[in-house]
Amino acid sequence: MEAAAISASHVHDDHHHGPPPANRSSRVEPALLGMLLFIISEIMVFGAFFTAYFFIRVVADEGTWFPVDGKDLPKLIAGVNTAILISSSFTLHWAENALKLGNRRAFRAGMVATFLLGATFLFVQINEYVHIGFSPQDHAYGTVFYGLTGLHGAHVTIGLVLLGMVTIRAFRGHFSAEEHRGVEVPGIYWHFVDVMWIVVYTTVYIL
Amino acid sequence: MSVKLRNPGWYRAGLYVVLAAVLAFGLSWAVRAAYGHDTYAHFLDAESIVIIGMIALPLAFLVGIGCFDYWFYWASGRPTRPEDHSGHGAHSWRDYFRPNTDHKVIGIQYTVTSFFFLFVGGLMAMLMRAELAQPGRQFVDASTFNGLFSVHASVLIFLFIIPVFAGLANFVLPLMIGAPDMGSFASGWTAYAPLSTTAPDGQVFFTIGVQFAGASSIATALNFLVTIITMRAPGMSFFRMPLLAWANFSTSLLVVIATPFIAASQFFVLLDWALGFNFFNAAKGGDVLMYQHVFWFYSHPAVYIMMLPGFGIISEVLAVKARKPIFGYRMMAFSLLAIVVLGFTVWAHHMFVSGMQAWIRIPMMVTTAIIAVPTGIKIFSWLATLWRGVLHLDTPMLFALGFLTMFTLGGISGVMLAMVPLDIHVSDTYFIVAHIHYVLFGGSLFTIFAGVYYWFPKMTGRMYDERLGRIHFWSTLIFFNATFAPMHLIGVQGMPRRVADYADQFAGWNLAISLASFALGLSTLVFAYNMIASWRGGARASANPWRALTLEWQVSSPPPVFNFDQVPTVVGGPYEYGVPGAVHGIFGPAKPAEVKATPAGTHAEPVRE
Ligand code: HEM
Ligand SMILES: [Cu+2]
Repeated sequence: MEAAAISASHVHDDHHHGPPPANRSSRVEPALLGMLLFIISEIMVFGAFFTAYFFIRVVADEGTWFPVDGKDLPKLIAGVNTAILISSSFTLHWAENALKLGNRRAFRAGMVATFLLGATFLFVQINEYVHIGFSPQDHAYGTVFYGLTGLHGAHVTIGLVLLGMVTIRAFRGHFSAEEHRGVEVPGIYWHFVDVMWIVVYTTVYIL
Repeated sequence: MSVKLRNPGWYRAGLYVVLAAVLAFGLSWAVRAAYGHDTYAHFLDAESIVIIGMIALPLAFLVGIGCFDYWFYWASGRPTRPEDHSGHGAHSWRDYFRPNTDHKVIGIQYTVTSFFFLFVGGLMAMLMRAELAQPGRQFVDASTFNGLFSVHASVLIFLFIIPVFAGLANFVLPLMIGAPDMGSFASGWTAYAPLSTTAPDGQVFFTIGVQFAGASSIATALNFLVTIITMRAPGMSFFRMPLLAWANFSTSLLVVIATPFIAASQFFVLLDWALGFNFFNAAKGGDVLMYQHVFWFYSHPAVYIMMLPGFGIISEVLAVKARKPIFGYRMMAFSLLAIVVLGFTVWAHHMFVSGMQAWIRIPMMVTTAIIAVPTGIKIFSWLATLWRGVLHLDTPMLFALGFLTMFTLGGISGVMLAMVPLDIHVSDTYFIVAHIHYVLFGGSLFTIFAGVYYWFPKMTGRMYDERLGRIHFWSTLIFFNATFAPMHLIGVQGMPRRVADYADQFAGWNLAISLASFALGLSTLVFAYNMIASWRGGARASANPWRALTLEWQVSSPPPVFNFDQVPTVVGGPYEYGVPGAVHGIFGPAKPAEVKATPAGTHAEPVRE
């Protein structure tokens, strides 16, 4: 993490009255480790929502699922949307690689592409809500559908905010081939959001 | 003025809270307008404002006071100002009332605030016992009584036991593993106490309070994990860590994995209640039982969140006070991890009478019996540690021994409850109350007392009064048993829990229980007096009054602001008491010749001191 790097660079300063530098007992970066552990927590949040899904779809009413009241889920549009979101993971990976190779132009282009793809996904999702024809108040199936996709949408939003900050900083000339932690940590979160969507899409729409 | 408003602190916090209130109103108004109800016809329609406000205001306060500044600075690539130590360390008692970045100050803030809630929760218990002293109605009606025991339980669980363990560990753990401070997230989470105090009663309040308490305990747990994994002193391998570090490692894993479930369960409730969702509305295909499953999937691990840190404290105290290496160090560590794993397989033992599918009962009964095994391993290892040790029977040790006996009784009643037939018989009777209190009072609270007495010299630089400490212990032990042991009996005879009134046949026992409980309450005052008086005027404590080996005792009492002038090097296990020439940590870089590998557990025969 940058704080550690900064205080480490001050060690040779004789007027330094701060704490002694901490020993680094793991090769994993603290920020990276924190993010990975946080993602475990996030997976469990989704786990709780999937539990609700399981109970309402399988246990409570013996396998009732969409179409309900003649309204089905838009599998195809959501499928295209899935492809959009997944491709954003690839552009992100491409951007990170470009940064590590010192190609700043490609890095910036990759970040912008990633951000736009993510925003498109969110836009299509909201559009889907508007036209889908049932609300969470109508029945428990709607509740679970909006619950799971909404929870995921919230995560996309958070991810977009993080990516947006990275993108802005990319244009301000931050980060370099050596200093790319600030891209990697939000990046891991974004990959997690993508993988989670594949799970949500398969269980809610396809199965 | 505008500088004051821009810099973190009380002024900016006030400004942000006002902004959040405006936002809460605006958002609620906008959403309602979008749905077509554009006026607030009735006072109650403003509920949505209250809900959004309850989420937004505390957040705004925290942002304002500067809890997240570190994150914002980090994310935007500005320097995170590590050289500014003005908010670090306590120089006078006033510093304990300000946001601080020193893990020791935060730890003491947590601990003291939590003890305040111990007294609040205890007072409620006294009120309940006053009502229950005789059959019939004395002071409170049924619904007030209902409120009393719900708040009693939530206050003591969420505002006392969980945060006080976090507080003690926050103080001790970085010192123990040789870290100058808590991990890199440390700057952003001074928030537990102010957050938690906003959790009042009532369903919605409870719901939102749990979300906040949950979020902050996850943040705390992430902090502990990152600190333990990445900031150990050189030479401090995992198997040279004191068991307190292991215990907090395991607890934090439990928190990170389990807490999202209770957050989600409360989120479901909130959505159903405030927005008309149908998670639990059976008429529209929802499932009520699902709430119980999700809730208990968190809440059984939660009982271990309330117990494992105590296990860690006991391991420290017993080894030091018996002057012997802890028996079976590795088994102790692995049994903690086993509890973490098994803790997730037993939740439905709380639901035997809930009408869930019958086939789940037997597997849950078996797993519940199995989870007693790692706990048993720990108990026997502690006993083996005591075996032929040189016991120093002072206050921390007395509480540790009290814990061993009382918790074992509670564990035995737990295993009895795991047996489906017995459980169905005593479910919702006083037998459950007895079990809960033997594990939580005789278990968790005794370890907390042991830990507070044990580290009091380190935290305050003063010694507590040993005579008062012993009076506190013996009165607590006697009146605790006088209060809770009879509850087994009236439970088996069928007295239901959670009622303000009961059949005349139980009158005799209940009067005795009430009287004993008042005495138990009074005994706590001895503790309070001892702590306050000793903190102000106790004898000065030396750096290492217990002759302990772990690192926190190798620095002055209280420790220097930055813990160590130089991070120590660890060259041996933490519990080599009675082993001639054993060293745990040394200050100054290790010369290769001095580093002899003595991993914990592979010690020579201890010598009697
Ligand atoms: C060997 C270990 C344990 C076993 C086998 C066990 C078993 C059980 C069972 C079967 C119940 C359900 C009773 C019922 O509602 O009918 C129960 C309730 C409870 N246990 Fe334990 N327990 C154990 C340890 C603990 C520990 C260590 C704690 C806390 C530190 C604890 C706290 C509680 C609480 C709070 C309840 C009541 C929950 C409620 O309000 O219904 N238990 N225990
Ligand atoms: Cu349980």
